[in-house]
Amino acid sequence: MKKYIMGNEAIAWGALESGVKLVAGYPGTPATEIVDGCLQGEGVYVEWSANEKIALEMAMGASLCNMRSLAVMKHNGTNFSADFIMHLNFTGVRGGMVLISADDPGGNSSQNEEDTRILIHTYAHLPLFDPSSPAEAKEMIKEAYVLSEKTGSCYVLRPVMRICHSRSSIEVLGQQRPEQEPDFQDDRSRFVMSAVTELKAGGKLRPLWRHSLLNQKQAEFSQYAEESSFNHLEKGEGKSGLVGCGIGYTYIKEAENRLGMKFPVLKLGTLPLPRQKVVSFLKDLDQVVVFEELEPVVERLIKQICYEEGLTVKVMGRESFLPGEGELTTEMVVKALTDLTLVDSQASAALRSTIPVPIRTRTQCVGCQHRGLLSALKQVARKNKAIVTGDIGCYDAGSFPPLELQSTIFCMGSSIPMASGIFKTGIKRPVIAIIGDSTFFHNGLMGLVNSAFNRSNLTVIVCDNRTTAMTGFQPHPGSGVNIQEQEAPHLDPGKLGEALGVSTRIVNPYLLEETKAALSAAVNEEGLSLVVSSAPCYLLNTRKNRSALFASRPVKMVLENCNGCRICITDLGCPSLYYVESEKKVHINEKTCVQCGLCADICKRGALTL
Amino acid sequence: MKLDLIICGVGGQGNLLASVAVANYAMKKGLNVIGTETIGAAQRGGSVVSHLRISDEPIYSSTVPAGAADILLGFEPVEALRHMERLNPGGMYIINIEPVPTVLCNMGMDSYPPLDQIIEQLNRVTNHGVTINASDKARELGGIIMTNIVLLGLLNHVSDFFDKDAFLEVLQEIVPSKAWEVNKKAFEAGYQMAV
Repeated sequence: MKKYIMGNEAIAWGALESGVKLVAGYPGTPATEIVDGCLQGEGVYVEWSANEKIALEMAMGASLCNMRSLAVMKHNGTNFSADFIMHLNFTGVRGGMVLISADDPGGNSSQNEEDTRILIHTYAHLPLFDPSSPAEAKEMIKEAYVLSEKTGSCYVLRPVMRICHSRSSIEVLGQQRPEQEPDFQDDRSRFVMSAVTELKAGGKLRPLWRHSLLNQKQAEFSQYAEESSFNHLEKGEGKSGLVGCGIGYTYIKEAENRLGMKFPVLKLGTLPLPRQKVVSFLKDLDQVVVFEELEPVVERLIKQICYEEGLTVKVMGRESFLPGEGELTTEMVVKALTDLTLVDSQASAALRSTIPVPIRTRTQCVGCQHRGLLSALKQVARKNKAIVTGDIGCYDAGSFPPLELQSTIFCMGSSIPMASGIFKTGIKRPVIAIIGDSTFFHNGLMGLVNSAFNRSNLTVIVCDNRTTAMTGFQPHPGSGVNIQEQEAPHLDPGKLGEALGVSTRIVNPYLLEETKAALSAAVNEEGLSLVVSSAPCYLLNTRKNRSALFASRPVKMVLENCNGCRICITDLGCPSLYYVESEKKVHINEKTCVQCGLCADICKRGALTL
Repeated sequence: MKLDLIICGVGGQGNLLASVAVANYAMKKGLNVIGTETIGAAQRGGSVVSHLRISDEPIYSSTVPAGAADILLGFEPVEALRHMERLNPGGMYIINIEPVPTVLCNMGMDSYPPLDQIIEQLNRVTNHGVTINASDKARELGGIIMTNIVLLGLLNHVSDFFDKDAFLEVLQEIVPSKAWEVNKKAFEAGYQMAV
């Protein structure tokens, strides 16, 4: 039956229709809903793992028992899993195994943008599918399981955000239940990766031997790519060809439709490339433009083929002709064709605003428990001239105006080791790291362990809201519940701190003075301190029981007491407060205020009062 | 035929439901539909935009190209302004005039443009537009959460693409049944607000 669903759900159905037994992932936009979608299967084990590397290792465990498995992550997770990938490529798999590495060209919901095809294909030499649509992504994952078992290798699906987050009508066949019995068989010469001498390989060291086997596999991968229906040629007018990789193909088709023209097109969906198809496409052409997300991966491979085959086709793309960063668009294809004088100048009729459009920075929700903590921390950090390092999660918005608190944001878990590095220079300022609970369990804990072991004098703050709020409330090891909404052990960051011998304080961030006092004490004591800011996510709990979070404290605005200092805005940044320039006074937006009362704690002039 | 829509607003305004309703309606008419949306920061007051592409021909890309949107449905004035480059000179805009100020505007560090200047900008692309206060109407009928339903009512009136009764059938399938009567009222109110 046809269903109007998100690309991520289509991908999930591809796995379920392939009889997947184990699905593991860590939430990250744009991949998150793939794991949720797999919950629709029966007899399938689905989990949110503590991090992506663990998810991939889980999938390998299932594959060793000859079951089909799926690991799901965004590009940052693939980076994080790179060490395991660089062994998995040597060992191969038993049961069909697919890794989904979702890229976010344009960085719409990410800290960076990158092309994981480089890590997967150029670096790890694993075969990869690059879908042009959700329907194709679903077919690709089914094909990936078949080929994974034929070749004994992990296959990778690399959807981009526009595939994951598009919605279209998809044919859903229904789940194939994983019925066979799991079966573990020892094969130490494959699955014990170690520098031992391999007698059956003539005494070569095992890493070298396994590497040579991976190199030999490439011919097999190439043969399947050659036969794949995901690559095809389209005839067209002229000597200029267009190569569309993955979603790049769709922009070429849109441009052709808009211009009413038909160019020779090579549609590509696999790595390795189908070399013979590429050569037969190139041989009648003078020039080609490669449209791919995001780096010139295929462009360089085609240049290599031209060199090896002695072809004199001019190959252009992301290397220099097209922008080297950001998402592709239909407009970009039209512009490329115009620049090559293949079409008449197609100056876009689109008009942009000629007046400034205010930027909408992300912020904490009205009523969010992080606001009390960030406000208290800003005051304590300012007083102590502290340096604050940040991490990934809702609280990271504290680094944007108006709070401008955290000085750094890199990747999951970096806040604590970076703070430690800052401290070890001997700098005469206190150092504070702030990290969320899901991020803490992902990879932050080891930073805390390292700081304890190496005696760093830091304050580490864990914003414990018991959920992965940023990506849509996925449970994590501190939630006390798992993805099936079953009760699970609740790992308490405070108790972990105590176990590490770290001075630990637990605060309720809705109590501003108490939170400030705890932070102040932590910053001013010797040694490593942990402050756990503990309150469940407000947004999640508005659906359940908001009154359990804080007592309602309606705030009155006494306008004559407001001198327009705006400390309530710069030190709290609540979207329900607004400044009226003509009056030089702050007002409360009664329509959005949820009466947390924090602004009355900030205002020292009696303008915002309880 | 083809109909390209941009539905833009701020996280929490319900533009995803509006986009799904229009998509379901188009599919019921046997048309091809592809949509996409930016999500992620949507629940924390960020900009949210849904692209919806409807056609009786194959559609390849889920994003509405610049200058191609037949309808720009702005749940918030500045968001409509932000996406005006998508609007087709032969298309139309519908704007809910209740502003959701940005954090920097709240701080007094950025200024929210006056509504007449926003309309003036959109009129550079096309004079064909409707502005209403759908949020006030929704509030009056029981809750700001129904702003999207009021706007769908208006959209049904101003665009020939929609058949009101058939659309209401589709809408009923996706609105929780206990809230249906009040939502239907909001839809009717929006329908009547068309100039």
